[in-house]
Amino acid sequence: MKARFSIVLVLGLIPLACVAQTAGAPPPGRLLASNCFQCHGTNGNAVSGFESLAGMSADKFAKEMRELKTDDDAGIMKPHAKAYTDAQLREIGRYFASQPRTRADR
Amino acid sequence: MNNNRRRFLAALGAAPLIMHPLARALADDMPASLRGTKPVWIPANAPLSRVPTNLPIQGRVVVIGGGMAGATVAKYLRLWGGSGLQVILVERERTYVSSIMSNLVLSDALTIESLTFNWKRLMDRYGVKLVAGEVTAIDPAGKRVMLNGSSIPYDRLVVAPGIEFDPVAGLETAAAQDRVPHAWKAGAQTTILRKQIAAMPGGGVFLMSVPKAPYRCPPGPYERACIVADHLKRAKPRSKVIVLDENPAITVEKDLFTHAFNVVHAGVIDYRPGVGVQSVDAAAGTVKTSSGEMIKANVLNVIPNQRAGAILKEAGLTNSTDGRWSTVNELTYESTAAEGIHVLGDSAATMQPKAGHIANQEAKVCADVIVRGFLGLAPDPAPVTNSACYSPITAKTASWLTALYAYDPASKRMKPIAGGMGEGPASARNMEEMRQWFSNLMTDSYA
Repeated sequence: MKARFSIVLVLGLIPLACVAQTAGAPPPGRLLASNCFQCHGTNGNAVSGFESLAGMSADKFAKEMRELKTDDDAGIMKPHAKAYTDAQLREIGRYFASQPRTRADR
Repeated sequence: MNNNRRRFLAALGAAPLIMHPLARALADDMPASLRGTKPVWIPANAPLSRVPTNLPIQGRVVVIGGGMAGATVAKYLRLWGGSGLQVILVERERTYVSSIMSNLVLSDALTIESLTFNWKRLMDRYGVKLVAGEVTAIDPAGKRVMLNGSSIPYDRLVVAPGIEFDPVAGLETAAAQDRVPHAWKAGAQTTILRKQIAAMPGGGVFLMSVPKAPYRCPPGPYERACIVADHLKRAKPRSKVIVLDENPAITVEKDLFTHAFNVVHAGVIDYRPGVGVQSVDAAAGTVKTSSGEMIKANVLNVIPNQRAGAILKEAGLTNSTDGRWSTVNELTYESTAAEGIHVLGDSAATMQPKAGHIANQEAKVCADVIVRGFLGLAPDPAPVTNSACYSPITAKTASWLTALYAYDPASKRMKPIAGGMGEGPASARNMEEMRQWFSNLMTDSYA
């Protein structure tokens, strides 16, 4: 019963999402995700050191960030992880998952 | 860097015989083509591949100033707005010297060349049009900027001129300013200050002042005190660093810098809170403090109080309560004094710090707003920005400070996010992170 309700809900949202999407409109999560670009590279392709996030699965991203919220060894990443809600982390994760991994882009 | 390139640089005489480990690491990280003094090589098939051609936007944005905010907004307007959105970047300098990391030039850990960037990647990869010159006036009603005896019309204007310095009594002439450099905009003054430090005798005195908040780069003056003290310990034994702070206390990372001053650099740094500079005698090498004391030093580094870039005052856009900064709608960075003009970075009066890393993020928020505007879409109602910076405490260690901000609809301000703030201790690991941070940050802004 619960599963069927979810499916109906999701199907009901799809046409709305399509209608709301203007041509050229910013993809969801892009602006939030751009907070990561300073250290993890434009669109998540880092040029040195820090991990590239482009192409990472959305689930992995959200899970790792949730774990960093309580990780005392995470250094500067702990406050960054804590600043976002789980919903925001999922949205950021979906954006990076959609980005192609390119060669270190200098 | 591969061996061929290393040999190539050595053959050109571009690489010093002995490179500081940090400088060498940076040279390995950084794209040489980003720097002003190196040749630029762009693959023939690469141009504009990053700029979408299928977006329904037609318009023109003029950006004044190619610093961290201006360069970033120019890049992201093209990346997110597409090829129909013309972006004209007006810049008066031939190169950009990063103020971030520039304190390390004072201790000879980095060269000024390693911090010098240009706008070629933005032009060649993103099709940003660069106009060399200085904007002399803005005409908000006619939507045009004036320069070089002509004018450039715009649909939207972004003004990111950085900071302007208050006059200091005794430092009215260019000669006096060369004698007592602030070195708070990296460039020629940084080199002058480095040479003055190099010429100091052992047992000498370096005196610096901390400007009244808000000023550019909150931890910067305290970082400078640490770097200079650390350097003098080795290069000029028995020397002292006197820090006059016009603020009542250390403005950021208070525990960390208190420890650095009283323990790490004990006996070298003499920190005096609540003391400003009343006047300077450049020829005599003395300052008169706000409490009337005269102090003589071998090197004087008075960092003046700061305000928004001059063009904003000229245009009547410095409308904060104290008349020093530009008040903006913090959702859009649009000036509250003029429609269609956005003010970014250090010149804007927000609760966000005046620093390059967060200026980069403000620029992305602004680019997103402008792109949405051309599409007839409302701004993102919940933007987030982040500030992060690493500060060297010694030649081998650095600390970090970070804060994230979110738009608060009730107060209509960008406010710190609870839990999204922190600072990290001085460590070798943070020094390593610092150079990776700098490489990626500069690439995100200039490439």
